[in-house]
Amino acid sequence: MLIELEHVTKVYNQGLANEVTALREVSLRIDDNSMVCLRGASGSGKSTLLSIIGCVFQPTSGRVAIAGKQLSRLPDRFLTLHRRRYIGFIFQNFNILPALSVEENIMLPLVPLGMRPMVMREKAAVLMERFGISHRRRFPAGQISGGELQRTAIARALVNDPPLILADEPTAHLDSRLSHEFMDFMADLKAAGKTIVITSHDALVTEHKAVDRVIDIRDGRIHVS
Amino acid sequence: MFLDSWSIALVICGLVVFFMMGFAARSAVRVLLYWDPDSDSGRQIKLENEIWLTSTLVECALGVQILSLTVFVLAADHFSGAIVGAMCATGSLLANDFGVPALTVKIGGVFLYGFWIVLHQLDIRSERYPLVRLKYIYLLTLLPLLVLDLSLGMMYIAGLEPDIITSCCAVVFGEAVGGGTNLFAGFSHFLSLLLLYGSTALLFILGGLLLAWRRIGLVVVFGGVWLWFFLLALVVITTLFSSYVYAMPFHKCPFCILKPEYYYIGFAIYGLLFTGAHLGMSVAVTEPLRQVVGLEEVTERFQRRATLWSLVLLALFTAVSSWHYLRYLLLGGQG
Amino acid sequence: MSVLARHLNILDHTLSSLWRRRLKNLSVLLVFAGVIFLIASFQLVTRALTETAEQALVAAPEITIQKMSAGRQVAVPLAYSEKLSGIFGIRRVVPRVWGYYFDEVSGANYTVLGLERDRMPASGQLDLVLDQGESPAPGRSGAALIGRSVQQGLERKGGSLLSLFRPDLSMVSFTVAGVFKEETDILTNDLIVLDIDDARDLFLVPEDVATDLCVYVANQREVPTIAKKIADALPDTRVVTRAQIRKTYQVVFGWRSGFASVCLLTALAAFVIFAWDKASGLSPEERREISILKLLGWETRDILAIRLWEGILVAGLAFVLGCTLAYIHVAFFGASLFRPVMVGWSVISPSLRLAPTVQLSQFLLIFCFSVLPYMAATVIPAWSCASVPAESALGGV
Ligand SMILES: Nc1ncnc2c1ncn2[C@@H]1O[C@H](COP(=O)(O)OP(=O)(O)O)[C@@H](O)[C@H]1O
Ligand SMILES: [Mg+2]
Repeated sequence: MLIELEHVTKVYNQGLANEVTALREVSLRIDDNSMVCLRGASGSGKSTLLSIIGCVFQPTSGRVAIAGKQLSRLPDRFLTLHRRRYIGFIFQNFNILPALSVEENIMLPLVPLGMRPMVMREKAAVLMERFGISHRRRFPAGQISGGELQRTAIARALVNDPPLILADEPTAHLDSRLSHEFMDFMADLKAAGKTIVITSHDALVTEHKAVDRVIDIRDGRIHVS
Repeated sequence: MFLDSWSIALVICGLVVFFMMGFAARSAVRVLLYWDPDSDSGRQIKLENEIWLTSTLVECALGVQILSLTVFVLAADHFSGAIVGAMCATGSLLANDFGVPALTVKIGGVFLYGFWIVLHQLDIRSERYPLVRLKYIYLLTLLPLLVLDLSLGMMYIAGLEPDIITSCCAVVFGEAVGGGTNLFAGFSHFLSLLLLYGSTALLFILGGLLLAWRRIGLVVVFGGVWLWFFLLALVVITTLFSSYVYAMPFHKCPFCILKPEYYYIGFAIYGLLFTGAHLGMSVAVTEPLRQVVGLEEVTERFQRRATLWSLVLLALFTAVSSWHYLRYLLLGGQG
Repeated sequence: MSVLARHLNILDHTLSSLWRRRLKNLSVLLVFAGVIFLIASFQLVTRALTETAEQALVAAPEITIQKMSAGRQVAVPLAYSEKLSGIFGIRRVVPRVWGYYFDEVSGANYTVLGLERDRMPASGQLDLVLDQGESPAPGRSGAALIGRSVQQGLERKGGSLLSLFRPDLSMVSFTVAGVFKEETDILTNDLIVLDIDDARDLFLVPEDVATDLCVYVANQREVPTIAKKIADALPDTRVVTRAQIRKTYQVVFGWRSGFASVCLLTALAAFVIFAWDKASGLSPEERREISILKLLGWETRDILAIRLWEGILVAGLAFVLGCTLAYIHVAFFGASLFRPVMVGWSVISPSLRLAPTVQLSQFLLIFCFSVLPYMAATVIPAWSCASVPAESALGGV
C-alpha cells in the first residue's frame, strides 16, 4: 500500500480564535509492505498525520494519495468508504465498546458492509482463534484483561482484511511484556504483506527490528534523521 | 369540518410534510450559499453531513406524503357520510372546488419528491457530488408546491359544509344516469380497453428495445408513454375496471376499491401503477444526467434497472387490475 | 452487499443497543404507549357509538313528518296522511305517539313510544332485540316492552306491574311483556314501548292526531324525491329523512371526537417535546460510541439508520401496546376511564356496552395522530446524533 503525501498542511479551527496549525507542509512517502514509525513529543502532530493517512479527515491543503488514488478533496462519505475497505485502526486507548461482547466488537466494522451474520461470525472466529481469545467470545469487553483488550483491538483492525494498519500510540498504556507482544504481532502482519504505520515515542517500539523507518515530527514538521 | 378527526389527521400529515421539507429547504439554502468541495473547513463538513439530513427528511416526507394521499382519500370517503348527496369519496371530493385540485397536487407531490430521491441516490454515487446544486435548487422549487398542497387541503376542509348537496360517483362517472354530468362520457369500453392494452404492449416493446439497444429518443418516448399510460390507466380503472370489482355496472368509483369490502385491492392496483409509472418516468427524467461527468455509468445502470423494474411492475399491474374483468369475462360474473 | 442485508445487520445492532439501554427506552415507550392509549380509546369509543347509532337507524322509517307551528313541534293531524295518497312510491304512512315521562319516584326520565305495530314493516324485528318475553299481539292493550333501566327501576320498587300516571294524575298499569337486550342499550335503555292507543291514553292525546307520521318508501333511491313532494304537499311540516338523521349523528360525533382529539393533541405535544428532548440528549458514552463506529467505517447514514430504526421500533411497540390496551379498555371495561369526560353519552346510557369494530382506517388515523408527530420530532435529533465527527474518539485518553 503506497502512501504519498505532498505539502500537506492541517489547520484546526481555521479563521477562529483557537486556530491551531498541526501540520505544516508535510511531504512523505511510505512504501508498500513497510513498517514505519512516527516519533515525536506529545502535541507534535503525530495523530493528525495518522488521521490524514487514515482518511479520517481532509488536509487543509496539499495532496494525499493512497495506492495511487487521490484522496484529497474527497467528500467525507467517500473517505469513509475508502477507510473501511483499506484501513484498520488500532487506537491509543483501543476504543473498544465495553458493553458489547468481544465478538460483537470484532464484528463492528463488518456490520455496515451488509455481510451475512454467518460470514461475520466466521471471520471473527478465525481471528479470535488466532489471537487466543476464543474463550472470551461472549464476555462483555469491559470485563477482560488489558492483554485481551489489546488482542481484541488488533483482531478488530484486521477483520475486514485491510492492507494498511494504522496504530496510534498503541503501547502507551501497556506494560513492557504486552508492548513486546504487540510489536511481535505487528511484525507478523508485516510478514503477511501489510503496510503498517505506528505513532509512538516509546523506544521499545521505535527500536524494534521490524521497523523499517522512523520519522521524527516536531511542531508539525518532519525532521529527517 | 375542521374539528373532525380525519380533518385533523390530514392537517397533521400536511404540517409534518411541511415541517420536514421546511427544514430540508433551510439546509438547501445553506448548501447553495456555502458549498465548497475544496474546503476542509468545519462548515463544509457540516454541510456534507446536512446532505444526509435533507435526504432523510425528503425520504420521510415522501413516506408521509403517500400516507397523506391515502388519508385524504379515506377522509373524503368518511366525509361522504356527513355531506348530503355524497355516497362515497368521489362525492365529497366534488363537494367544493378544492377537492380535486388538492388530490392532484398531492399526487404530483408524490412523484416530484420521488424524483428528488432518484437524483439524490445518483448524486451520492459520484465522489464529486456533481448534482448538489441542481438537487437543492430543485428542492427549493418544490416549496411553492408544498404551500399549495397544504393550503388547498385546508381550503378543501374549510369549504366542506355538512349540508352541501353534491353528486355521488354513480352520477359522475356513470353512463347516462338520468342526465347527470358524466366526466368520461363518450369513452366506449372497447376503445378504452384497446388504448390501455395497446399502450401496455407499446411499453413492453419500447422497454425491450431500450434494454437491448438504447437511443436517446427512445428513452424520452418511453418516459412519455409511461406518463400517458398513467393517466389513461386512472381513467380506465375509474370507468371500467372498478365496476367489475364492485360487480355493479353503475358503481364506477376510483376510490371505493380501496375499501375493506373489496379486500383493499385498490392499494395493490394503485401501488403498482404509481411505482411503475414513477420508475418509467425516472428513466426519461435522468437522461440529461448521462452528460454529467462522473455519473455516466451510474445513470446508465440506474436506467437499465428502472426500465426492467417498471416493466415487471407493469406486468403485475396489468394482471391485478384486469383480474376482476377477466374473471367476469370467463365466468360470466358468477362467483 | 445488498441494501437489505445492511439494514438487517443494522437492525440487529439496534436491537441489542436498545436492549442495553432498556431503562431509558422503556420510559419513552411507556409514556408514548400511554398517549396512544388515550387517543386510540377515544377513536374506538366514538367509532363504536357511531356504529351503534347507525345500526339503530336501520329500523327507522325512511321519512318522518313532524308538524311545525311557530317553530315548535306540535301534534300532526292524522288527516295529513290522506293528503299524501297521491304521491307514488309511498308504501305506507303510520302514525306514532311518543313523548317523555318523568318518573318522580326514581327520578328517571323515560321515553314512551306508542306504535301501531301491526302496520310497521319492521315490527317483527322487535322480538329479535328482546332479552326476555315476547312482544304482545298487535293491538293488545295493557302490555309494555321496556328497556333495562326501566326494569331496574321496577325491580327496586318491587312490583311487577308498570304503573304510570296520566297528566291528570290518574294511574294506568301495564304488564311487562318483554325486556330489551343489553346490546341495544344506547337506544332502548330508557324506552317503554306501548300500543299506540295505550300511549294516547297515557298522554291524553286526542284520537285524530299523532306525534309524528312515519313514511315507508318502497325504493330507497326515491326517498329524496318523495321527501321533496311531501314537503310541497304539506308546507307546515318538517320532513326528515333517515339519511339526514344519520348525517346529523355523524357531524355531532365527528365534531365531538375531533374536539376531544384537539384536547388529546395537547398531551401529544407534551410527549413530542419530551421525545425531542430524549432523542437529542447524548451522553458522553453515546457520543464516544458513535465516533468509534464512524472511525470503524460506519457512514453518517448508517448511524442515522440506527437512530431511525430505534424510533421505528419504539414507536411501533408503543403503537401496538397502546392500541391493544385501548381495545381492552373500550371493549371490556366500557371505556370506564372516560366516563367522567363523556358527559353527554354517560347520561344517555350509564352502563353502555361497547363493541368496537376493528377497521384498518381507524388505525391509520391513530397512527397519524401519534406516530407521525413522534417521527417528525425525532428525525432531526437523530441526525444531529449521527453527525458526531469521527475524530472525537481519536487522540488523547
Ligand atoms: N480536533 C482538534 N481541534 C483543535 N486542535 C487540535 C485537534 N486535534 C489536535 N489538535 C491540536 O493539534 C496539535 C497536534 O495534535 P496531535 O496530532 O494530537 O499531536 P500528537 O498526537 O502528536 O500528540 C496539538 O497542538 C493539538 O492541541
Ligand atoms: Mg496523539
